[in-house]
Amino acid sequence: MKVNKMEKVTLVILAFALLLSCVLTGCSKEDSKKTEKTLVIGYDRDAEIMDTIKTAWYSDALIYIHDRLVTRDYEFGYKPGLAERWDVSDDGLVWTFHLRKDVKFHDDKEFKAEDVKWTIDTIKDPNTGSPFSGDLEAIKEVNIVDEHTVDVVLNYPFPNLLYNLSGTASGIHPANAYETYGDDYGKRVVIGTGPYKLEEWTPGDKTVLVKNEDYKWGPEWMSNRGPALIDKIVLKIIPDENSRMMELEVGGIHILRNVPETYVEKLEKNDDITIYSEPATKLGYLAYATDKEPFTDVRVRRAINHALNREEIIQFVLRGIGEEAYGYLPPALTDEYLEESEELAYKYDPEKAKQLLAEAGYPDGLELTLSADNSSKSSKLAEIIQVQLKEVNIDAKIQPYDSAGYADMLREGKQELFIREYSWSNADIIDWFLLSSRFPYPNHSRWVDEKSDELITYAAQRPTWDERAEAYKEVQRYLIDEAVWAPIYIPMNMIAARKEVKNFKYHPWMLQYNDGFDLEVSGK
Amino acid sequence: MVPVLILMTLIVFMIFYFAPGDPVSRIAGPNVTQEVYDNIMQKHGLDQPFVVQYFKFAKSVVKGDLGISILQDRPVVEMIRERLPVTLQIGLLGFLITFIIAIPAGVIAAVKKNTVVDYLCMSGSLLGIAIPTFWFGMLLLYVFAYKLRWFPISGDGTIKQLVLPAFAIGLTNAAITARMVRSSMLEVLKQDYVRTAKSKGLYEKTVVYSHALKNAMIPIISLMGLRLGWIIGGSVALEIIFSIPGIGRLMVDSILARDYPVVQGAMIVLTSSIIFANILADILYSVVDPRIRYS
Repeated sequence: MKVNKMEKVTLVILAFALLLSCVLTGCSKEDSKKTEKTLVIGYDRDAEIMDTIKTAWYSDALIYIHDRLVTRDYEFGYKPGLAERWDVSDDGLVWTFHLRKDVKFHDDKEFKAEDVKWTIDTIKDPNTGSPFSGDLEAIKEVNIVDEHTVDVVLNYPFPNLLYNLSGTASGIHPANAYETYGDDYGKRVVIGTGPYKLEEWTPGDKTVLVKNEDYKWGPEWMSNRGPALIDKIVLKIIPDENSRMMELEVGGIHILRNVPETYVEKLEKNDDITIYSEPATKLGYLAYATDKEPFTDVRVRRAINHALNREEIIQFVLRGIGEEAYGYLPPALTDEYLEESEELAYKYDPEKAKQLLAEAGYPDGLELTLSADNSSKSSKLAEIIQVQLKEVNIDAKIQPYDSAGYADMLREGKQELFIREYSWSNADIIDWFLLSSRFPYPNHSRWVDEKSDELITYAAQRPTWDERAEAYKEVQRYLIDEAVWAPIYIPMNMIAARKEVKNFKYHPWMLQYNDGFDLEVSGK
Repeated sequence: MVPVLILMTLIVFMIFYFAPGDPVSRIAGPNVTQEVYDNIMQKHGLDQPFVVQYFKFAKSVVKGDLGISILQDRPVVEMIRERLPVTLQIGLLGFLITFIIAIPAGVIAAVKKNTVVDYLCMSGSLLGIAIPTFWFGMLLLYVFAYKLRWFPISGDGTIKQLVLPAFAIGLTNAAITARMVRSSMLEVLKQDYVRTAKSKGLYEKTVVYSHALKNAMIPIISLMGLRLGWIIGGSVALEIIFSIPGIGRLMVDSILARDYPVVQGAMIVLTSSIIFANILADILYSVVDPRIRYS
């Protein structure tokens, strides 16, 4: 066949047109399933392993995939989950959990006592290397009483067990999951009893969850107990902050649970988007290596506390969205938070700071380094803290690190002044950061003090929750007096939801907890 | 090729060994005891001396095994296989766009030297060189995805997701290439054989496209050979902006988390692709200019 030039050109154009039409029509498949309700949630970063046991960096997908023995309601109270009730022995050492009998795993296996035992034993096994093992230190052993009853035996009284058993990390896996599913477990397969099943996980891109049709054992405090009202949940990873905001605005994602303060103003102008904000269970603080000169002197530590103008910091770094912090716990932990923290603590008073420094033997001021990670928030914090310290004659040189380098530097103990923010909703964070047994890691402030060890251990091992809360208040009084840290701010949890999201209700414990139960999304 | 790869892996390995930070902090989280921490370090052989670690790694690479990711606990080869295609697609599409724009623009500018067309092409390319790829990517994203909504803002797995990043790469690379084509063409057009061809009475178009362009291509091919490797390695920022899970992002995430087996694996792939692109350019020389022979 002879093809002349004109025909050649026509052929090429035709081929291109064909290709183009393929490209454009190829992606309109979704239109056929109009009734399916999908909730798309935006995230900045994916988890590496889809397994609560093996990493401290969970994917939120695991909140939906697993159930836990204990749940927490909107008021932070402990309520039944997979355990329909529990009793504690008089000495506080044996906790008997009575399990639900109508629960099935995603692979149709019935939920039994052995699953609870396997999950806890695997976490505690030192060979697993589970980051969560420390949290379950108090547990001595788990005994199966019958198919639907387990005894959790403790080494010492530990009312905080409920907290640990209600966290994401204690999602219940089917017994022998690692043997049954081999290397795929935590990568292609994850089995739980939760309201959603894992359909597809493309690391770094997205996780797709589909509703578990058999689910009917949701917690009693949610208006729907299952199956979920939303058919599909997609966790979409969008690493760039700007792209994430744009995607929210055009409706590519429905809900964003960590809106940066800088975007609030812009998003509030969009009628399709509502921003919900509640004080977070986080605390931003300035810390120092308390075992090094000059921080060994309590007067210097107090002086640094007095030097900080918290209101100005919140304005500058958080655009005014946040609360001033004076205590060591976030006020959202209503039971344990020490109400009089602010009265007891050291308010902004540069004159007092200078005077204290002079008393401590530094009338001409100090030269120190201020370490921070290189995130934009920390860099801004470091800048303003530098300026404020300058006012009381403390010359702070800023030393930035990337996140892995920062952790390493703290572990090695090279820090003088350093910036931290923790996110944790339990008083036991104080144990982690300030017990001498955690020195030098995670006790970065290198705080080794007998009195405080005594107070913390006493508090952690009270037999009841209320006694424990009271004892932790005593701990906080002591820490404030010693000025172990300089607490700065409590940020807000800011959640942006599009108009498609119905019945939004803020859950203080797990922000995602109620998706598909109280929270709904309108179909397309 | 082998010495280059050995040198590269050794350098990357050294940087990681001596850089502060380790991958375990991220898996372990802030709340782990020293005992568990040490257990995890031991499990991945991170407690061993530098030389031992490197030789272990080198031994498995020779066998075609790039090791196991410390964070994801799966074979690096598998992770790269997942991530590489989309990066290659964007890179190659971008490369194609570079060609389609740069060659006609350069040729026209050379032929119509010192006319308005030439000035337009060259000031356009100057602009293209001055604009960083990532910024141009953000601009495209803002206009075509956010405002006009023709394309998805974040990667949706369809071919549509490739278009904007490919254009961002293509246009910025076309800018530098077009200038190269122009100067190379000007050089060739001055030569005697072109004048001869013209005086023979050949059409201007034939002279330019089949006689002159072929000879002007040699420096352009070597430039493109260098750029191809660069295009593939340089799409990191675009993968972040366009939320595309490609190999560039895998590498950056792994660097930040100090997951060095993954970084090594990705670097081996990138280095190889740059070497490969240069070999390809060498072969192309002989196609364009039959006088060049490799024996």
